[in-house]
Amino acid sequence: MAQVNPEFIDEVKRPGEFNASACMNCGVCTAVCEMGIELLPRKLFRYVLLGIKDKVLENTETIYSCLLCKMCEVNCPANVHIAENVRSLRYYINKKVYNL
Amino acid sequence: MSNKKIGVYICHCGGNISDYVDVEKVREAVAGEPGVEVAKTAMFTCSDATQQEMLEDIREKNLDGLVVASCSPKLHLFTFRGVAKRAGLNPYQYTQVNVREQCSWTHTDDPAGATEKAIRLIRAGIARTNLTEPLEPIVVNTVPAVLVVGAGIAGLRAAVGLADLGLSVWLVEKAASPGGWVAGFGKMYPYDRSGSDLISQLTAEVKKRNNITLFTNAELVEKSGSIGDFNVVIRVNGGEEIKANVGAVIVAAGFDAYQPGDGEYGYGTDGVLTLPEFKALVDSSDGRLMYQGREVKDVVYIYCVGSRQPEGEDRTYCSRYCCNAAVHAALTALEKDPGLHQFHLFRDIRTYGKFELLYNQSREMGVRYLKFDENEPPVVEKDAAGKVKVTVKDLLTYSEEVEIRADLVVLVTGMVPRENSGLTDVLKLPVGRDGFFNEIHPKLRPVETVVDGVFICGTCQGPKNSAESVASALAAVTQSASILKKGYVELEPLIAAVNPELCQWCGECAQSCPYTAIGKEQYQGREVAAVNRAVCKGCGGCAPVCPRNAIDLKGYTDAQVRSMIDAFLKETG
Repeated sequence: MAQVNPEFIDEVKRPGEFNASACMNCGVCTAVCEMGIELLPRKLFRYVLLGIKDKVLENTETIYSCLLCKMCEVNCPANVHIAENVRSLRYYINKKVYNL
Repeated sequence: MSNKKIGVYICHCGGNISDYVDVEKVREAVAGEPGVEVAKTAMFTCSDATQQEMLEDIREKNLDGLVVASCSPKLHLFTFRGVAKRAGLNPYQYTQVNVREQCSWTHTDDPAGATEKAIRLIRAGIARTNLTEPLEPIVVNTVPAVLVVGAGIAGLRAAVGLADLGLSVWLVEKAASPGGWVAGFGKMYPYDRSGSDLISQLTAEVKKRNNITLFTNAELVEKSGSIGDFNVVIRVNGGEEIKANVGAVIVAAGFDAYQPGDGEYGYGTDGVLTLPEFKALVDSSDGRLMYQGREVKDVVYIYCVGSRQPEGEDRTYCSRYCCNAAVHAALTALEKDPGLHQFHLFRDIRTYGKFELLYNQSREMGVRYLKFDENEPPVVEKDAAGKVKVTVKDLLTYSEEVEIRADLVVLVTGMVPRENSGLTDVLKLPVGRDGFFNEIHPKLRPVETVVDGVFICGTCQGPKNSAESVASALAAVTQSASILKKGYVELEPLIAAVNPELCQWCGECAQSCPYTAIGKEQYQGREVAAVNRAVCKGCGGCAPVCPRNAIDLKGYTDAQVRSMIDAFLKETG
């Protein structure tokens, strides 16, 4: 059972520019991702949007394995700034997990 | 044998018929039938050239009967009745025989059988034509007044439209004040005008017009008469009865909101509301949403409650307005409190047309959508500390089971047919399998019912939003005005006729009539059955039950039907 934390999205949003609200879950980003990791990027963003904090924090390695190549971003039909969002997540993790 | 002179025309339909039916063989087989003066084939009987040829034949050879063997009468009955009329022949002495749908199209594997069947059908058509009599349409003068039942947004708008066409309107509302559901709505999409504002504007328009009479706390209790000339009785405040004479009736009786059962998605528990209840809460709050003295921060919506049920249940239909209404409610709630967290648990989102923009806007503003499988609906449970726990499998993370602790759960309920049995009985309105009133044809006759002169519009016909309700109300205005502004209606004369010499009034026929078209009258000092010519539909239900054979159906008399059976049974050789 995954617990929804409604405040989580606000925490992630506050420091950076995380915004995946326009995402309609088409999955094009994941289909074109060079890394071929299931979580990247659609499912990761969905966990963030739903506020499933644990799932995000369990997967910090994956979040850091993104190449920021922006293949997903240029193909996104909803114009979500995917790479920027990954950066905001890393910023959040740096502060909250690694206390940097 | 027959003193009729009949013209028979057999159509190839450009091959649609002649590819399977040997039309020349058919022509030869029917040319010698009693009464047949001319028998021809044509590539397209409906073409201008063939119509012209028929016209000339009818005039030159003094034909007094016409048979065209072609397609379904639904397609060309009126075309060929028109030919007869233009040639000076009574249109009811025309018979259409359907050898396309009933022969060539159905028996593509058996051309010989199709040909034989065509011969038999045409012989029967000729036999019937031999016994036709000239008939005239029934002309009914119309009363320039309309009864509108229901003064919601549809009924009010219909009343104003009718009044502006110069028709008098009797507007009857069951509730204490006009306006229906929309009167209770706050901001509406688009343009953000409130429902109550729209209704105030409409009621002001109604009040300006002298030819509209509005009754509140009133209901229709009796209707008699027929299209163009109905007598109705309106009961006001449960007592006083007012009689009115109208030419048409428009029913705009509205809908009920689906009321969830006890325990359905937790309904009945503190914090679980229906969409109308939630909208009222949002509309009445000044700033942040408060419920039972607590601040509302997290809201969960569950879609399709009471709608789109599995086959065999009562409500298999989509209520179509609710996705839009729920998305709109979410945006309205965000305006009151931009910090609100909202989770929409949906089966499918159907924000058709312009409402798609609302859906996009809501996502961009942070409203979150989770798709669930209809076989694994969300579970709603009471939780500690005034919260409600909702668990759902999110299909878009491969069925991750998530748990949301919400302050409010909104059940997005649809529209159900209003309990209207009294009205249904009085008007004899047909009700569809979904429980809403039924139109004749969903595309081409969307506001007409099988009861001539009675129209339906708005949500009593099926789920609609307010714009769609008003559009259908104005369609009903046009349809009723098209009858009433002409001053008269012409009805088909193919109806039941009583022979008063034979009738001894036993009442069997009246009981068998589904349209209440048969009453009593005096004939030479005794009671006999009388058919209300404007109400009778010519279904023929009364004719076989008469123990004295005193009823016949014009155009399909017993003698005609017997002669048709004899013609069917003749050898085809």
